[in-house]
Amino acid sequence: MADKEISALLGRVALADRDAFASLYRQTSPKLFGICVRILKDRGEAEEALQEVYVKIWYRADRFLAGEAAPMSWLAAIARNQAIDRLRARKPVANAIDEAYDLADPALDPERSAMIRSEGRRIEACLEELEADRAEAVRRAYVEGLSYQELAEIFAVPLNTMRTWLRRSLLKLRECMER
Amino acid sequence: MTTQKPESGDSRSDEVIAGEYVLGVLSAEDRRQVEARMATDRNFAAMVVRWQSNLASIDLAYEPVAPPPHVFAAIESRVFESPASTGRSASLWNSLSFWRSLAFASLAAVAVLGISMLELFSAGQGGKPLVAELQGQGNGLGLALVAQFDTGSGRLRVTPVAARQTEEKSLELWLIKGSDPAISLGVLPQSGEGEILVRPAVRSKITEGSTLAVSLEPLGGSPTGSATGPVIALGTTRR
Repeated sequence: MADKEISALLGRVALADRDAFASLYRQTSPKLFGICVRILKDRGEAEEALQEVYVKIWYRADRFLAGEAAPMSWLAAIARNQAIDRLRARKPVANAIDEAYDLADPALDPERSAMIRSEGRRIEACLEELEADRAEAVRRAYVEGLSYQELAEIFAVPLNTMRTWLRRSLLKLRECMER
Repeated sequence: MTTQKPESGDSRSDEVIAGEYVLGVLSAEDRRQVEARMATDRNFAAMVVRWQSNLASIDLAYEPVAPPPHVFAAIESRVFESPASTGRSASLWNSLSFWRSLAFASLAAVAVLGISMLELFSAGQGGKPLVAELQGQGNGLGLALVAQFDTGSGRLRVTPVAARQTEEKSLELWLIKGSDPAISLGVLPQSGEGEILVRPAVRSKITEGSTLAVSLEPLGGSPTGSATGPVIALGTTRR
């Protein structure tokens, strides 16, 4: 399942090529279904989520910019977002972004957008620099779509401690990736 | 964040929120808030994209699971049985006046407009040319084209209304007929405007209701014979 081949199929899907869509589905659906099953932990729901995922892929294929993202990562992000949205709708969790925190403000540093480039360090190496339980929390949050509350229960720490763990871990990872 | 009370716009907090979004720990409401901000704040959206690409290698943890066959049938019926969404309802006359208002921006464009309108009217005797407006698909590449196909001479003229394509890329024009693979009509001149002489074998295939699309390709056009780059404009022909 070469990236190049998936990119080419996405290009054809953007041109409404049904054969390419079927071919893309054949090649990528086991991975994307695996994502939905792992996050939703329910086959029926995962099947519905997978439908949503491919409907989105059909309509959004033209937004895939080869070279800017790896095609499999792009597809996996659509699947993860769909599964996590479905999970959060089924089982709401507390809001974590502080109300007083103004999300509408533009970011301060306009140079930052120029910094998107493939980072030299792999996330795995940076995760190893974190304490083992924190790295595990980051990994499980990502893979299973766990909420802060669920993570706090699994790791037997107070909710606020878990929030601090993950937020500090994210900053450490960011710093490590940029090093 | 509740614990640190950072000043708004603090890029460290932004990084954390972008990372929390990609990890998936946020609530539904927070996720919508993040997505709304991504749509209006390019720098913030870039942070999210970067986290996505940074964390993507963890995707290896997902074991593939074959979905049951009925899922694809359901997807196909949802995607292919809905009415085509590419048709545009604006009339040709509207599109020309829209085009003309933009063309005033440049003398050269006005000249092109003059030629195109002349052709349009003279073609009236031998049958109206097919015209398609091709609009960008909301991908920020900002391109709109007016395509005219003269059935008699086989000349397809494509004029950009606004183009911001990168120089080392080529724009390739495609014909889409139903579910058939897209047929390349040729690569547009690097100047971004001009005519393509459509191969005689393909001419009869450009009919009313055909879809024309432009994709961004490596210099010289797609190396594979099918589109490899993003589709930056798409439109349907009509009389």
